Amino acid sequence: MSYMLPHLFNGWQVDQAILSEEDKVVVIRFGHDWDPACMKMDEVLYKVAEKVKNFAAIYLVDISEVPDFNKMYELYDPCTVMFFYRNKHIMIDLGTGNNNKINWPLDDTQEFIDIVETVYRGARKGRGLVISPKDYSTKYRY
Amino acid sequence: MASSLSKKKKAFMGMPAPLGYVPGLGRGATGFTTRSDIGPARESGDIPDERHAPPPKKKEETEQEQEDDDDLNDANYDEEFGYGGSLFKNDPYEKDDEEADAIYEAIDKRQDEKRKDRRERLFKEEVEKYRQERPKIQQQFSDLKRKLTDVSYDEWMSIPEVGDARNKKQRNPRADKLTPIPDSILAKTALSNQETTVLDSVGGLSSTMAGMATPDIDMKKIGQARNTLMDMKLTQVSDSVSGQTVVDPKGYLTDLQSMLPNYGGDINDIKKARLLLKSVRETNPNHPPAWIASARLEEVVGKMQAARNLIMKGTEQCPKSEDVWLEAARLLPVDISRGIVAQAVKQLPNSVKLWIKAADLESELKAKKKVFRKALENIPNSVKLWKAAIELEDEEDARIMLSRAVECCTQSVELWLALARLETYENARKVLNKARENIPTDRQIWIMAAKLEEANGNLNMVDKIIDRAIKSLEANRVDINRDQWLTDAIECDKNGNVKTCQAIIRNVIGLEVDAEDEMETWTEDAENCTQQNAFECARAIYAHALSVRPSHTDMWLAAAFFEKNHGNRESLETLLQKAVAHCPKCEVLWLMAAKSRWLAGDVQGARGILAQAFGANPNSEEIWLAAVKLESENKEYDRARKLLAKACQSAPTGRVFMKSAKLEWQLNEVNKALEIVNKGLEGFANYEKLWMMKGQLYEVQLMFDQAREAYQEGVRKCSNSIPLWVLYANLEIRQGQVIRARSILEKARSRNPQNPELWLHSIRLEANSDNKPIAFNLMARAMQECPKSGILWAEAIFLEPKPQRKTKSIDALKECEGDVNVLLAVSKLFWSERKIQKAREWFNRTVKLNSDLGDAWAYYYKFEKMHGTEEQQNDVKQKCAQAEPRHGEEWTKISKDIQNWKLKTEEILLKCANIIQIPI
Repeated sequence: MSYMLPHLFNGWQVDQAILSEEDKVVVIRFGHDWDPACMKMDEVLYKVAEKVKNFAAIYLVDISEVPDFNKMYELYDPCTVMFFYRNKHIMIDLGTGNNNKINWPLDDTQEFIDIVETVYRGARKGRGLVISPKDYSTKYRY
Repeated sequence: MASSLSKKKKAFMGMPAPLGYVPGLGRGATGFTTRSDIGPARESGDIPDERHAPPPKKKEETEQEQEDDDDLNDANYDEEFGYGGSLFKNDPYEKDDEEADAIYEAIDKRQDEKRKDRRERLFKEEVEKYRQERPKIQQQFSDLKRKLTDVSYDEWMSIPEVGDARNKKQRNPRADKLTPIPDSILAKTALSNQETTVLDSVGGLSSTMAGMATPDIDMKKIGQARNTLMDMKLTQVSDSVSGQTVVDPKGYLTDLQSMLPNYGGDINDIKKARLLLKSVRETNPNHPPAWIASARLEEVVGKMQAARNLIMKGTEQCPKSEDVWLEAARLLPVDISRGIVAQAVKQLPNSVKLWIKAADLESELKAKKKVFRKALENIPNSVKLWKAAIELEDEEDARIMLSRAVECCTQSVELWLALARLETYENARKVLNKARENIPTDRQIWIMAAKLEEANGNLNMVDKIIDRAIKSLEANRVDINRDQWLTDAIECDKNGNVKTCQAIIRNVIGLEVDAEDEMETWTEDAENCTQQNAFECARAIYAHALSVRPSHTDMWLAAAFFEKNHGNRESLETLLQKAVAHCPKCEVLWLMAAKSRWLAGDVQGARGILAQAFGANPNSEEIWLAAVKLESENKEYDRARKLLAKACQSAPTGRVFMKSAKLEWQLNEVNKALEIVNKGLEGFANYEKLWMMKGQLYEVQLMFDQAREAYQEGVRKCSNSIPLWVLYANLEIRQGQVIRARSILEKARSRNPQNPELWLHSIRLEANSDNKPIAFNLMARAMQECPKSGILWAEAIFLEPKPQRKTKSIDALKECEGDVNVLLAVSKLFWSERKIQKAREWFNRTVKLNSDLGDAWAYYYKFEKMHGTEEQQNDVKQKCAQAEPRHGEEWTKISKDIQNWKLKTEEILLKCANIIQIPI
């Protein structure tokens, strides 16, 4: 579903996208459109895009085309989703130990909406770190 | 969604990045390092990590009214290009724009190149100038440093250390001294914590922090507990001073464990209680319960000494309270408590309890007696004291004491009776007379007197005494309670005083009973007595009842059954003789009498009785048949025949004919039997058994056509006789006429709807002729008609293929739980599955539920024969013989077979077990 979502093709656009939103969370997925993990994530993103459009803007970035952030944001995973609000990177405690981003494909739309909403609410209050409504630590998986 | 995007397309979409734009840094972003193992997140030249800069302040709105908000953002500012957005940024980027950009770029480049040398030179100069003004420290010492190369290693090592210029105190800091926080502070904090939680709870907030507050352990309470333990230990040791307890080093710990305060509550509760009781004691020091409660509390907590102190104080404060003294005596060690009790009795010389306690505390008999003597001096009219005192004495002294006691306590029946028991006969009589004078209202004395007379052989006095007793009691306006008297009678019976018991019953049984329901009441009383094993009582009641109403047949019967169950043969026969004399029309009594004789082996006597019975009831079928049975069992067939012939004339019934035909048949006189049957049928065409017999007789002679005719006639006459229908159908089946049998059964079913037996036979017929589907069909219909029929369910279980049987059996058990046939089928099922133990259990259950089903016994026996030990087999055989089963399909096949008419139950069991099939 990546073709239904706006792509950003260079670093400047990425920066502009982050800067351009005054009152919305900017959700950026870094990865490759052809990556199966990203495909899963994109599916979810496409599904939620309409629902969260009032408080979130979603963009896709190809990390081969735009390698500028790879080092800075440690984009070494096949699929990474990051949140920004008013040019501020919003961290989120997912219980995984990495608070900076979601670095796996989520498969539940509602969970994703909840996360975005939590980010939005926290960011509006000026928080730099919000706590995910669901704990994604592996201890619940095993 | 695409439309929503296009509607508000962002300006930057699809735009190339401005020249030399550094992504991320351009908006002041910083990266993060969490996975340095994979790669660096930040380059050395990056902006220092401030993590996230505070969001840039917005410029004043007025300045940028026409412009987009983000254009003049600080973060958007670039040194080279000014603010990121250009004036025309919303316009499309066209070719001439591109050209212009290229030209501008070229000019920039050219200008840059033009002054490059000068600029670089200027920069260099500037740096040099700056360096000269402010040389680095390193450079300043460079000349000195160079000389260091001359210094040898030894020289370097021998450079003296710099001394410490600080004063001694600073040089040698004292080690940190760690002092434990005093308990008081901990307790205070704990207390304050508590207060806050209390406040919380008042404020409506739940005080859920209890669990969280555990880290600060209540040291005070621990200390208290330790004190308590110590206290207990000490009291224990102090106990041992008296020489009683010795501290056993091995059991000491376990002792402690058991001694640990065994209250379940909180220490705080105890504290509260203590406080409360204290306030009670102080406000009302003369209130004995307060003292006792305080002492008990301390005792429960384990503080013996405190308890003792309290109770001693209590005795000082309330010296007139018996309870306090008793509590003190209980709490204090024995030797001290003796003194306490002595003090107590001085204070309260009239307290019986205290005196008894005092006697209890004495260990020696002599001392005890002494205490009692003293007590009796003080309280001569206490029955309790007298009794306790007398118990200690031997017989002779007891008698003397008792004689004194009855003088002091004239109203005590017990004392009087005890005295009478101890006296000789003559004196006892006197004593009882005196007792009667003193207590004219007690029946026990009278009964005692009666017993006394009986024991001394004055049997005729017994009746008189009881009679007089009732009269005098009535004269003294004592309510004569029948039930009480009856229980007394039962008691007498149990003690062997038969005469007294009889006398009581004679005199009392008629009281308070209406003439209408006296029989019922007496029967009830008699049954009651029988249940309590007071047979003499029951006998007396029956005797009385029969003497009042000698013609009451039911009473005679009840008495006869009572004698049969609980009496011996003689008593039964004398009773029965009397009975038949009074009720000669009651056949059962005659039969019972005859049977009793016969069982005793007295055939002649039995005959005599039956002859008398004939005299009394000449037309009684029962008596005729009993006589026949007597003769035939004793192999007097001629007599039996004669009797039957007479019976046919004087009491002609279908049954008599049937019996006589049967006798002939048993004696192999088939033709004669047929003759009799035909004769019988002339008179009693509606008696099904005659028809059945007729058919069977023909069958035996292999005259099937005649048999068929007989059955046909039979079912026409008695269409409700199921066995007749079944016999008819079976005859056809045996003849191979399945179709006919089917139609017969169908007809039978239509005549007798909702009859499971007919259904069963139909189903079997189909199943045996390999028409399984039809059998199933029939079964379903049968189940609809008779859903609660056990035999149908039992058949249904075994009709199913093996795997489904179990579920079917569960259904069956659900539907008719208490049905023997189903239980038997289930046990057979277990047997077929070779679950031996389970099968045995179920067989047991089956025969227990209904021991009259012969099939169950037969299967059980066969089962044990195959899987059980000899003992188990014999056990089953014995039990079966006891139960004397009569019913069951297979069982009756054997038992009703004319050839087996003399067989005993056991033999039938063996035969039956032989013919039945092992379930598969």
